Amino acid sequence: MAKKFFCPLLLLLLLPESFSADNPTDRRLLILVDDLTIRSSHSLFFKSLESRGYSLEFRLADDPKISLQRYGHYLYDGLVIFSPSVQRFGGSLDQAAVLDFVDAGHDLILAADSSASDLIRGIASDSGVDFDEDAEAVVIDHVSYAVSETDGEHTLIAADDFIQSDVILGEKRIEAPVLFRGIGHSVNPSNTLALKVLSASPSAYSASPRAKLSSPSLTGSTIALVSVVQARNNARMLITGSLDLFTNRFLRSSVWKAGSSNKYEKSGNEQFVTEISKWVFHERGHLKAVNMTHHFVGEKTEPAVYRINDDLEYSIEIYEWSGTSWKPYVADDVQVQFYMMSPYVLKTLSTNLMGLYSTSFKVPDVYGVFQFKVEYQRLGYTSLSLSKQIPVRPYRHNEYERFIPAAFPYYGASFSTMAGFFIFTIVYLYNK
Amino acid sequence: MPGRGIIILLALIWSSLSICTASVVRPISEAHRSAALELFVPFDGSFGSLEDIYAAFRTLEILGLEKTQDVSDVACESVVDKLGSPSSTAKDLFYALKVNSILRCQAETIKFEEIASKLQTVLKSASSLPDFYYSIGSLLLIKNQGFEVLLSDAAGAFQSIKAFSQSDGRWRYDSSSAESSTYAAGMALEALAGVVSIADSEVDKSMIGVVKNDIVKLFDSIKSYSDGTLYFDDKYVHTNDYRSPLEISASVIRGVTAFAEVASGRVNIPGNKVLGVAKFFLSLGVPGTSKDLFHQIEALSCLENNRIYIPLIISLPATVLSLTSRDQLKVDVTSVFGVPAPPLTVKLLQAINSNSDGKPNIENQELYFDQENSIHYLDIASLKVDVGKYNLIFEASLHDPVAEKKYATGGRTSFSAFFTGSIQIDQAELEILNSDGDSIETIESLDLSKDSSLSLSANHLQTFRLSFQPTTPLGHAFKPHQVFLKLRHETNVEHIFLIESSARQYKLTLDFLGFVEKFYYLSGKYDIELFVGDAIMENSFLRTLGLVELDLPEPPEKAPQAPPQPIDPYLRYGPKAEIRHIFRSPEKRPPKELSLAFFALIFLPLLGFLIGLVRLGVNLKLFPSSPGPVAFSLLFHTGIASVLLLYGLFWLKLDLFTTLKILSFLGIFLVFIGHQTLSRLASTSAKVKSS
Repeated sequence: MAKKFFCPLLLLLLLPESFSADNPTDRRLLILVDDLTIRSSHSLFFKSLESRGYSLEFRLADDPKISLQRYGHYLYDGLVIFSPSVQRFGGSLDQAAVLDFVDAGHDLILAADSSASDLIRGIASDSGVDFDEDAEAVVIDHVSYAVSETDGEHTLIAADDFIQSDVILGEKRIEAPVLFRGIGHSVNPSNTLALKVLSASPSAYSASPRAKLSSPSLTGSTIALVSVVQARNNARMLITGSLDLFTNRFLRSSVWKAGSSNKYEKSGNEQFVTEISKWVFHERGHLKAVNMTHHFVGEKTEPAVYRINDDLEYSIEIYEWSGTSWKPYVADDVQVQFYMMSPYVLKTLSTNLMGLYSTSFKVPDVYGVFQFKVEYQRLGYTSLSLSKQIPVRPYRHNEYERFIPAAFPYYGASFSTMAGFFIFTIVYLYNK
Repeated sequence: MPGRGIIILLALIWSSLSICTASVVRPISEAHRSAALELFVPFDGSFGSLEDIYAAFRTLEILGLEKTQDVSDVACESVVDKLGSPSSTAKDLFYALKVNSILRCQAETIKFEEIASKLQTVLKSASSLPDFYYSIGSLLLIKNQGFEVLLSDAAGAFQSIKAFSQSDGRWRYDSSSAESSTYAAGMALEALAGVVSIADSEVDKSMIGVVKNDIVKLFDSIKSYSDGTLYFDDKYVHTNDYRSPLEISASVIRGVTAFAEVASGRVNIPGNKVLGVAKFFLSLGVPGTSKDLFHQIEALSCLENNRIYIPLIISLPATVLSLTSRDQLKVDVTSVFGVPAPPLTVKLLQAINSNSDGKPNIENQELYFDQENSIHYLDIASLKVDVGKYNLIFEASLHDPVAEKKYATGGRTSFSAFFTGSIQIDQAELEILNSDGDSIETIESLDLSKDSSLSLSANHLQTFRLSFQPTTPLGHAFKPHQVFLKLRHETNVEHIFLIESSARQYKLTLDFLGFVEKFYYLSGKYDIELFVGDAIMENSFLRTLGLVELDLPEPPEKAPQAPPQPIDPYLRYGPKAEIRHIFRSPEKRPPKELSLAFFALIFLPLLGFLIGLVRLGVNLKLFPSSPGPVAFSLLFHTGIASVLLLYGLFWLKLDLFTTLKILSFLGIFLVFIGHQTLSRLASTSAKVKSS
């Protein structure tokens, strides 16, 4: 009996730790590695995660006991795959299970390198990101490489073509280039969910440095070095072809991009991986919209129906998760649509800087069933898609204008005829 | 099939003979020191458990770093506490004594004799390897403090530990466990070394010989990485007792070096294996966890001074050398901690350009020694070598023949290095040829040291030709890795053409007729970009040459469509244009004044009617005079007036139903009254007529 009570209690204790609508930051991460030495060689990255309150669980990728869920509940909120060469995951985990995990709204970091297996490539391509098919190919850049006394092949790249997005990479600009060594990938142009966060320079190409070049499949800025995917369910993924990007060595290394006069004491990697992991694990850019209300101008209560040409006020509150609490979201581009088959009114909302967005407009002179729609999709933010149905009716018969001046002559005609009739009856009956 | 066997055999022989190209490992450096200071940060004034305290102090001690006094005081407190406590286990005592051996806490408060006798009893009842390891280790530490320690049955203890050993050189933790482990081997060897150093005379010399054989067997099971570094590893069953190769190798090295220290005679391990293990520790770079750093540093400190072989690391501070800035080829020969090696000569046996067919470019060149920086160097620029990727093979030979037995240099060591230089590009020309193939429409000579802005035009019957000639500083033909031309249409559709080399010249000929389909029949401006780059080319470039205006034929039906280009994400997510509803415009109405004017006018006929009546001289002579008919007449006309008034009210405010209801009553009343009134009037008028 005591046990029965104990278990739900334990669950209750665990629950606040995990990802939820009220607390959208991941807490429990499973880290799959090829070799447990990664724990030591990538310790700075893991330490930064731990210091932000994540609980990390390291497993060898072929550990037969790995499972992501138990009794239909996921055991983890995020998955970090740092095992590029694994051919088959251990336990019940496979490519489909990883994708199901993401489909269930969980987050994924996938880092590959030149030894990337078909399994890893498969997970990436199912996420809309294709690694170079040539297994030997790595990203080479003979113009913007990182000057190094020990790497002569120009496969160590100093990349600084970042996506311009404060929400993904943080407000502080990343000054120093990011060191990258690994394989490149491309993002399908028709894929609207994947974004290149770090692109190669125009002079880069993806090829094997040891073999003669034969038609490189990826060249120039189309090569993505680091990409993120935000699925429709707001699950986030980070995909990169460089596991070295996260190493202590790269995080601590100095960087000097060839041809540049600036030598940096420290590469941009630490800032980059910290900031982007904040984004991936929903410490930033996670929006929620609450209290969507509308009412007549000057009133407070929400009517059940509007009449055409009414003036109404619309408001919504939007908050952003800061990792610990919900903070008012401030932007000047939140728009509301008054929608029936197509938008009749599309208006930018004005904000009071405390999270409240509002506007007022006149209901169009078309009746039918309308919706207030907020479709807010911004680079790096979770998408907001809300709608609220509201019917709009035409004027009732007695709501039209009475006593139209233009009709006065007609009224006058009727009444003068009536007066004439009255007089005529008297005259006709009593005249002699 | 036999042929295949021979090939495999040859390959095996070759692989055993060939010298592994070592990745560059560098000795312990400042980076380790700063990492140690970062990793060993006391939390609440302490490093944690005594084991962690030991790891921290030991690492700091080996690296020659200062330890703060208050942390030492806190550590000493717990050492004294642990040593005085009767409940301390052998393991606790072991680490407490180890910390004490570094910090030298107040010795007078510690009763070493008592601890020693306690440990003796532990040793007597010991049944597993860790028991032996900790108790013997602790006794040895007490002995090192200057106290007399006597093992009652040293030979017996030696035998008991030896009993755990397996035929493959590994050890078991206790007699009942089936698993044998390499990590345990390290512990066992350290324990055995402890027994020997406490009670040397009692141990049978032949037993030491047997253990030496075990060590050799242990080294036979060593594993190797592809870069030639060697390490020890265990098969493990559970993740909880997982030990990393680093930890296992460190344990073995600690045990083996400790045993070699006390055992008489040499332990017969090849120098290459010791060197390989040393390289393994160094190849880890700077570990990211305090445990790993401790294991790395401690194992290397054991190797730094041991009686088997002291590894000397040959390393190149730089493997990318610029011929333009006349970089020197520098070779560092140091111990694992960066201490300069004893006098030796480094010889560059061979330097083979990877492009040449195996013929060495430099042979048997002795490196100069710079006493001041204790570095060996060679001025490669003066040797007239060309740019390229070279395979360098070095050999270090110690001057002192006695030292040969003490140090392991690993014989030949091979590195790959890049000699970079500036590549000159001459005779760069861009031509547009007419369809006959001979007559030249346009010819432009290019200066590839800067961007150009050519403006060419061509149609699909013409041919585009680009040629240039790259040469190395020594005037040889050079074949860069990346040579391609990119044509980019205004719509961002790109086409890449690899440029092939023929003899010394690179030439690209594009017959547009053959490319019409590939170009998706897209006429218009194409940007021309030329990429020439190579790992050893210092002036790799990406040049914009200008643009060519292509005039291609109209696409036929079913022509392939250009692939979609990615949409700019910044544009895709921007706010949409606002939409305002356009309301239906109100009906046109005449001005109010006009309506009112007509309203007034409409009453004119009534007025005319009234004036007419007056003019006609109407009278009301027929109006009854007797009270009954008067009442009926008045009621009748009031009824008519009320109906009309009802109409007026209907217009003003009443709805149809109310109006009809009232009207029905009024109607019935009016019919009755009207009938009465009219019949009375009719009879009156009939009377008048008849009269």
